[in-house]
Amino acid sequence: MLLVKNVSKVYDNKKKAVDNLSLEIKKGEIIGFIGPNGAGKTTTIRMITGIIAPTQGTIEINGIDISKEPVGAKKNFTFVPDHPTIFDAVKGIDYLNFIADIHEVPIQQRKERIERFTKAFQIYDALTQTINSYSHGMKQKLLVSGALLPNPNLFILDEPMVGLDPHSAKILKDIMRDHCQKGGTVFFSSHVLEVVENLCHRVAIIHRGKLIACDTLENIKKNSTATLEEIFLEMTKDE
Amino acid sequence: MNKFIALTKIQIKDFFSKYTQHLNVKNKFLGILTMLLPALLILPAIQLALTLYDSFSMIGYPELTITYIYIANVMLMLFAGIPFIISIFFYSKDLRLIATLPVKEDTIVFSKLASVYIYLLAIGCFFLGTSVVIYGTIDGVKVLSLILGIMALLISPLLPMIISTLIVLPFMSLIGRGRKRNMLVIVGNLVLIAIVIGVQLLMTRIQMQPDAINNLLSQEDGLLRLIGHKFPPSIWLTKMIQGSLLDGGLFILLNLAFIVVLKLFAKKLYSAALLKFNQEGSALIEKGKIYYKSRSIGIQIIKRHIAIITSNPTFLLNTVLTMFIPILMFVLTSLTGELSGDLFNSEALEPYIIYIYTIVVSTPAIMGSLSATAITREGKAFWETKVLPISARDNIKYRIYTTLIINFTGSIILGVAAAYYLPVNFTMILLAAAFCIATTLFFSTIDIAINIQRPLLNWSSPTAAVKNNLNIMLSLLLRVITGGIGFLLYKMMSSLGANTIIGVLSAFFIILYIVAIYIVYGIYERKFVDIAP
Ligand SMILES: Nc1ncnc2c1ncn2[C@@H]1O[C@H](COP(=O)(O)OP(=O)(O)OP(=O)(O)O)[C@@H](O)[C@H]1O
Ligand SMILES: [Mg+2]
Repeated sequence: MLLVKNVSKVYDNKKKAVDNLSLEIKKGEIIGFIGPNGAGKTTTIRMITGIIAPTQGTIEINGIDISKEPVGAKKNFTFVPDHPTIFDAVKGIDYLNFIADIHEVPIQQRKERIERFTKAFQIYDALTQTINSYSHGMKQKLLVSGALLPNPNLFILDEPMVGLDPHSAKILKDIMRDHCQKGGTVFFSSHVLEVVENLCHRVAIIHRGKLIACDTLENIKKNSTATLEEIFLEMTKDE
Repeated sequence: MNKFIALTKIQIKDFFSKYTQHLNVKNKFLGILTMLLPALLILPAIQLALTLYDSFSMIGYPELTITYIYIANVMLMLFAGIPFIISIFFYSKDLRLIATLPVKEDTIVFSKLASVYIYLLAIGCFFLGTSVVIYGTIDGVKVLSLILGIMALLISPLLPMIISTLIVLPFMSLIGRGRKRNMLVIVGNLVLIAIVIGVQLLMTRIQMQPDAINNLLSQEDGLLRLIGHKFPPSIWLTKMIQGSLLDGGLFILLNLAFIVVLKLFAKKLYSAALLKFNQEGSALIEKGKIYYKSRSIGIQIIKRHIAIITSNPTFLLNTVLTMFIPILMFVLTSLTGELSGDLFNSEALEPYIIYIYTIVVSTPAIMGSLSATAITREGKAFWETKVLPISARDNIKYRIYTTLIINFTGSIILGVAAAYYLPVNFTMILLAAAFCIATTLFFSTIDIAINIQRPLLNWSSPTAAVKNNLNIMLSLLLRVITGGIGFLLYKMMSSLGANTIIGVLSAFFIILYIVAIYIVYGIYERKFVDIAP
């Protein structure tokens, strides 16, 4: 579903934020993407979603190269960024209709999904208010609902748990799991290792721009009894 | 004091980094050139000052150049200052942070004004600066006049700046309540600006009675007193530059007095206006029902771009003001009686009616640079359309369409209003429409290349996005250059009739438009993809 091949990103001709990273994600998988602050998670995700172009390497989504055929590739995924900075002078329902129109979601499905997700997240009643009156968590949940509307093949999230209350975080986890069971694919970055441990089929660990591991939890643990936290701290510690 | 300096430094750094951001430092020469570009815009100001100087020298009072320009300068500063002050005080994003810092209220108010001061000083340099230099050098170098002139120039922004602050802050606390706040802010400020300028014009109006003028001319300083008598600082400033210490002292004292007044009121203004405004900022606006309705992608995106402008008072005010400058000028001058309806029907003006009408109708295209800030206005939300399945070409296209829609709406309003006052006929309307369409298409398209080149997505106050940045300068420069070429064409064709000339000029802009399409969709489409939010 997602194929990242030898991708590097150099900022301002000097800062190498991502270094020759390769990654393959299959349909139906949930992949957790972890790494210390500044490791290059957001940069990688921004390249995958076409917000910035890689300095080197190629990215294919559902077999479509995003730099060659951006529109085709973008029809296959939706994205929730780490900060919910969106144009917020419109109402929540305006935003959702906007996303639905651009992704060409038919009215009937749109109505059904908007009701399902926003009611689960308890923001349904706030949909008639302008987004700038929302709290951080409410904005986050609106963005997640919007991203789920088109029922994307690939669902990409950058630190989705930040700012969510326990109840909403649980719902989001259920939604992610449910999405995979129905054949969708989920790729998300997080600092909450328990979530990654409980949810993901495979874990990708990035450190200083390089992918240092990408495997199932069992394989990463190598039969040791250590927790993901202990392994993570060990792998990414500074010499 | 240290806190004041630290706070001011940040404000000024922010102000300048917005201006110079994304300059191509690799090429030093290019960097310097782009910095100098705005200086080219000074040429028309020099022309103006020279013309004034010549006419006033002819009647023996060259110093009146300074008086005149100073008064005009103050008006211009009030005009430009009010929206700017509103933007940095009420709509800038850093206030939330600054409000939590352990600094006194007047420190905050004054440090915020630092960037306004620089902005107004830049305006002052253009007009007052050039006239001081011309006055001090043209008939032999007068060193004292030059030094005093530069001092006066440095002081000159204070008065209009503080006056507008003292007007704006209480005014905003009055209208900044309730639901339709943004609407009130816009309408209120338009009215405010109109009143301020109207009062200025009324105050400085000269009664052109031959007897009175002869009478005054026989007295020393007679004409100066006449022009300046309703606005004494202009007299003080003029005499200061001529070397009068007493008047210089008065001028400086007056400015100091205003600083003291502002300092006295700063605390009150701060708590009454700023805090209250920010508090009520997130009043719940709940209206309408939940709906499910599908629209085409184009309509959705254009709606979004229009909403970005209309939801932000600074953007909207800026758009409306630049578009309707002709209306504002007309209303004001006719209110103050300097312009009478008969003038337009006079014989002498008749051949020029078609040009006036054409220019008025085309003002939104010529004065506005909406496309040059189409990406910048979106700010940090720019990533949104980038992850959606829309091609870069469409993404650019819909931004241009948005500018076209807004500009044409403005042109139509201006066209109807002007047709009511000017004796126009059907051919004139057709020609003006052709010219307006050609210029609007060209400028709306080419301007976006400037914005793609320099996207500036991280602005802290909305004025930085739409006004105080190099993009606007570049787009103005583009207009000066194309205007210059257009003028040359006009000169070359001066033997032909007005209709033919406007027809040819329209064709000229259509050709430029076709070139612009190739530039924007050919070269800049790739660059658009590379914009990193
Ligand atoms: N626009 C930019 N310009 C220059 N350098 C950048 C830019 N964005 C990120 N970087 C640098 O790239 C590196 C990786 O940043 P990135 O945001 O990808 O980290 P991250 O893994 O998402 O970190 P966090 O866990 O804190 O979100 C950092 O060193 C950062 O300083
Ligand atoms: Mg990050």
